[in-house]
Amino acid sequence: MSIRAEHLNYLYGAGTVYEQYALKDVSFEISDGEFVGLIGHTGSGKSTLIQHLNGLLRAASGALYYNGENIYQEGYDMKALRSKVGLVFQYPEHQLFEVDVFSDVCFGPKNQGLSREDVEQRAREALTQVGLPERLWSQSPFELSGGQKRRVAIAGVLAMRPEVLILDEPTAGLDPKGRDEILDEISALHRDRHMTIILVSHSMEDVARYADRLMVMNQGEKLFDGPPKAVFRHYKELERIGLAAPQITYIVQELRENGVPISDDITTVEEAKQAILKLLHS
Amino acid sequence: MDSVLHRLDPRTKLFGTMVFIISLFLSDSLAGYGVATVFLIAAVRLSKVPFKFIVRGLKAIVAILLISVSFNMFLTPGRVLFQLGFLKLTWEGLRMAGFMALRLIYLVIGSSIMTLTTTPNELTDGLEKSLGFLNKVGMPVHEVAMMMSIALRFIPILVEETDKIMKAQMARGADFESGNLIQKAKSMVPLLVPLFISAFRRATDLAMAMEARCYRGGAGRTKMKPLHYAGRDRVTYGVYAVYLAAIVATRVLVG
Amino acid sequence: MGIIKASRLIYDYIRRDEEEHIEEVSRAIDELTLDIKKGDFVAILGHNGSGKSTFAKQLNGILLPTDGTVWISGMDTRDDGHIWDIRKTAGMVFQNPDNQIIGNIVEEDVGFGPENLGVPTDEIWRRVDESLAAVGMTAYRLKSPNKLSGGQKQRVAIAGVMAMKPECIILDEPTAMLDPNGRKEVIATLHDLNKKEGITVLLITHYMEEVTGADRIIVMDDGRLVMDGTPKEIFSRVKELKSYRLDVPQVTELAWELKEAGVPLPDGILSREELMEKLLPLLKAAVSGNKNGEVAEECRSGQNI
Repeated sequence: MSIRAEHLNYLYGAGTVYEQYALKDVSFEISDGEFVGLIGHTGSGKSTLIQHLNGLLRAASGALYYNGENIYQEGYDMKALRSKVGLVFQYPEHQLFEVDVFSDVCFGPKNQGLSREDVEQRAREALTQVGLPERLWSQSPFELSGGQKRRVAIAGVLAMRPEVLILDEPTAGLDPKGRDEILDEISALHRDRHMTIILVSHSMEDVARYADRLMVMNQGEKLFDGPPKAVFRHYKELERIGLAAPQITYIVQELRENGVPISDDITTVEEAKQAILKLLHS
Repeated sequence: MDSVLHRLDPRTKLFGTMVFIISLFLSDSLAGYGVATVFLIAAVRLSKVPFKFIVRGLKAIVAILLISVSFNMFLTPGRVLFQLGFLKLTWEGLRMAGFMALRLIYLVIGSSIMTLTTTPNELTDGLEKSLGFLNKVGMPVHEVAMMMSIALRFIPILVEETDKIMKAQMARGADFESGNLIQKAKSMVPLLVPLFISAFRRATDLAMAMEARCYRGGAGRTKMKPLHYAGRDRVTYGVYAVYLAAIVATRVLVG
Repeated sequence: MGIIKASRLIYDYIRRDEEEHIEEVSRAIDELTLDIKKGDFVAILGHNGSGKSTFAKQLNGILLPTDGTVWISGMDTRDDGHIWDIRKTAGMVFQNPDNQIIGNIVEEDVGFGPENLGVPTDEIWRRVDESLAAVGMTAYRLKSPNKLSGGQKQRVAIAGVMAMKPECIILDEPTAMLDPNGRKEVIATLHDLNKKEGITVLLITHYMEEVTGADRIIVMDDGRLVMDGTPKEIFSRVKELKSYRLDVPQVTELAWELKEAGVPLPDGILSREELMEKLLPLLKAAVSGNKNGEVAEECRSGQNI
């Protein structure tokens, strides 16, 4: 199972003077079970890109294959694609509409045309996966806290049992603990359910910790694509396009500049701690 | 874009549009429409707005135009020029239809010139000040103008939001297109509920933000951009008077 | 008495059923006592639901105390006669940049506050010019707010408050909806206003990186004030912060972890420079004391991963 994009182009305001590339010749392949971090500043094309992956936007040119099938071919079932490639938008709690949490999570599977039993089974499973206590399931989603609403919305997508889960800044506006909780749950889905994850994030610290591959977008183009350690070595270029490497990268770089023999592919606090302790105790 | 028309006080332009509309209903001769045409061409030239922007508004009235023209052509009694079954094309009908079409087209062009040379803000300011006298009979003119201006600001935001929620629900398998009318109406619930909730949240937030910035209605408020009539506005009012007199003259002399 | 003072402040959210009977009372602020000095840059930290936003709304009379008192520049917020003076003195910036901009053009939005205060037209223009310059948004004065980035919108909102000539600005999570660049813009603007114009800043946030430059940090939990001190003092209590669902910047965290593992580093290291200054000598000594090349070997193999 994989997603393969070939030379995707997408234009805003095509045919007018404001014509602008939102995606420019973007190609990549994401294989089953990867955890990809997608980074780029606001307007870099990352939101446009993820909407292509489940067919909400259609490229002006280029091809997109899901499991080897061209999704732009005639008669391709977009609705089926959307349930396989689950997309959680930014601030997903803004899409909640049902009278209680459980019914809202049922919305996706119900649209898949499943039997009532299956629908409820999936909703229960999804709500458990996001760790929402059962006593809240019958409450109105609008009475929950921000973090809880976010979980309900993510469960609403998980209930469709997607093979790929795309999340657009799932931690925006959450406090540090809430952020860690959500990211840990996403990481568990990846680890235990072998779900392919694409995480759009502004936080280099977060992607460094969770993703095993990074794609960096800039002005509609894919600028870097590789393991986080390799991408963060380009921290100077990242800065030039308005991004930055994790703080730890800078500490390690500064140590190296001062002649400390420490490896430059350290990107997390834990790795840095181990490396420094080793140096000190040697 | 900038021109003499852009710089006119919005009240002058509002009043001018009104004068022009009245003049169209007063004219009933070629001479009358001739004067109106001169006035309109002068305004278009002065506005420096490209002609294609001005005629864009006409697209919306093509249907109405065709219907009213054909009704007038065939249903006005008088000297028959041509007959097809029960349909009689009369000389009077042709004349009437012609004037009717001109009137509609001029109406749209006239008001387009006003809206294209006036920002929505100036327009609300102009309306607020022009209709200020209604305050005395208990109409909340300032409040209505404030609401209009806030609506203008939030329309693009809500349009964007609609698009976002729609996509989010489509990602959950929602279908907004297929099905019969009832199914379609039902499928709007997942779109409309979040949209209303969001609109109310924005309204509450905005009300709080306005209060925090000491907003307490129109009383005691000053204006950053108060409306002042300048020399050009006085001249323009003079032009209006001459124009209206000319129109009346054509009616009296020719008619 | 400082510019902001709260004494045994209590605020309850009361939920009523249809017949107006009290159904549920939840205490959002619990006996909070606090005094903020004029000219300070104060950060209030706390997780979502810790009561920090409710506290902010107490400071310009949007909410009024259930019990206890809040004074702004000596004026009691419950005193009806002073409400507009209080709002003028303690300006407020909110989280969602879209929902607090009223004008359809940047400069008109900045003029909204002074218009409401009945400031004469010439003076409004002067204030708008000054405020836009102070937040660095003069170049955008004729733009529609819808065309601006999140950070720029928040700077416009700050300018809108500045134009009312406040003594203090309260910002309720102004950066929560912004990207990292927008966040930096806003925080830099605030430090600028604090230094150049002497404005007292009260910044409510849960981003730890934003508060290292503050004069004072206050931590709230469950409606109570649980920590109060300089960034150095607060950030040396890493465990305690984590127990309040908070975090520390990565630099501080690394220093703290190393210290826990026995490395002789001081408490509360906040900046990279500080960490380098203390850590480099230790590392250099360790590396030069170890000439058998074991460390260099370790490192080379690490690079090949």
